[in-house]
Amino acid sequence: MKIDLKTFLAWFDDRLAVTPLVKYMTKKEVPQHEHSIWYYTGSSILLFLFIQIVTGIMLAFYYKPTLEGANASIARIMTELPLGWLVRSVHSWSATFMIAIVMVHMLSIMLTKSYRKPREVTWLTGMMLLVVSMVFGFTGYLLPWDDLSLSATKVGTNIPAAIPVVGRWVTQFLRGGDDVTGDTLTRFFLFHVCILPLVIFAILVVHILLVQKEGMSIPLKEEIAKKTVPALPFWPNFILREFIIWLVLLGTVLTVALLFAPSLGPSADLMAAAPEGVKPEWYFLFLFQTLKIFPANMGPVTGEFVAVVIIMVGIIGIFVVPFLDNKPETKKGRFFTYLTYFGVIYAIAFSIWSLL
Amino acid sequence: MRGIRVWSILMMVSLVLAPLAAAAGQASPPSDKAGVQAAAPPGAQQVKPAARQEAKPAAKPPAKKGEEKRTEEIVPAYSDIKQRSAVIVFYVWLWLSIAVLAYFLRLWIKEADRVYKAKYYEPEESPRKGNPMAAGVGE
Repeated sequence: MKIDLKTFLAWFDDRLAVTPLVKYMTKKEVPQHEHSIWYYTGSSILLFLFIQIVTGIMLAFYYKPTLEGANASIARIMTELPLGWLVRSVHSWSATFMIAIVMVHMLSIMLTKSYRKPREVTWLTGMMLLVVSMVFGFTGYLLPWDDLSLSATKVGTNIPAAIPVVGRWVTQFLRGGDDVTGDTLTRFFLFHVCILPLVIFAILVVHILLVQKEGMSIPLKEEIAKKTVPALPFWPNFILREFIIWLVLLGTVLTVALLFAPSLGPSADLMAAAPEGVKPEWYFLFLFQTLKIFPANMGPVTGEFVAVVIIMVGIIGIFVVPFLDNKPETKKGRFFTYLTYFGVIYAIAFSIWSLL
Repeated sequence: MRGIRVWSILMMVSLVLAPLAAAAGQASPPSDKAGVQAAAPPGAQQVKPAARQEAKPAAKPPAKKGEEKRTEEIVPAYSDIKQRSAVIVFYVWLWLSIAVLAYFLRLWIKEADRVYKAKYYEPEESPRKGNPMAAGVGE
């Protein structure tokens, strides 16, 4: 029986239904307007996620999530393996780039009110992806197992303890006991390389399907005026533009990783006092500073409890903003826009304050 | 259009293959690399990728079982001058490739936009309608 390439491809197409997908891609259109630039942030996040997966797998070949092996294995990656320090640096910097672009993506959606009906669930899944990305960063921060990462994790895992009833249990669950130990390291590694990737992929699939189902949003004023917005075919016109952005971002992250490669401190000592200047990753700095400004006691409750409650209310508020801001064209909508500007200024100011 | 596509695809393939080739060139058993590092002159060992790392001590291999615990910070460093040269060449090549590829992609975008504006693939309005030479093109 003669099997040529055409027959072979037809066999796959018959079973995987590639043709309808290609047809969909050629029919899909991307609106073109003054805010179109923000459409490119979504795919850039996927690029950094891909870099994270590739470099993460490379690091996982040599990393040992044990008390004795964690720091030493990273030291080995950095000093013995060919360009191991660069792979680690690319992993670390692509995480930073990814979270920064996720934040820009969410902010652009907030300011253009793209979360309005019928895209509320898309917003919810996007917020979940942001939270999972930040948890990725938090769990990854402990893995080098040096004094700084140990102290930051102690502070970070102690925050939920301020929540009444379940708080202490949450802290114990995160730490695998009452204190940060080797069990915490194993637990964080498991979260970082197994549980969180599964969670992020599950949410990502739903998020992308919802974006395809509802299409890309158009600006609010055009929607109110019922104007027809000009569009560009997704394939090849839009995707080629995305390729150029991906190439530039890829070059940028590789260059930054080369110039500012992270170092590695000595292995953490569980009995030692916390070093001075313990700071979390940059995206947690404003929350860290918010916790610091509250006094130890505020009447019958602790200051930490009040801070945690305020932060939680803020986070829940951002999650449900499409339901609160349900009339974006009115005064209420403008109020939420000003609130967003305030939130951005607050986060930047408190992050800078934390670094001073 | 086809020429641009071929060039773009060739550049993309080369962008993917070059790091693999560079890695293959660099690849050697960790023990050998450690040997090179130990044998390299102090000047070569202290070559650093970033200016901010100047004040920090040079890289040291990790402590093995029974050895004294490491107290110094490990700073990322090239294992030898050969690796440093390879990385510099790779980065120069990377940005050149990005520039060339972006140029070809830009041409491809211009062409794709022109074809779209001309409604080339819309059966009713296509300028190729009735042209027997264009039959079957793009379908």
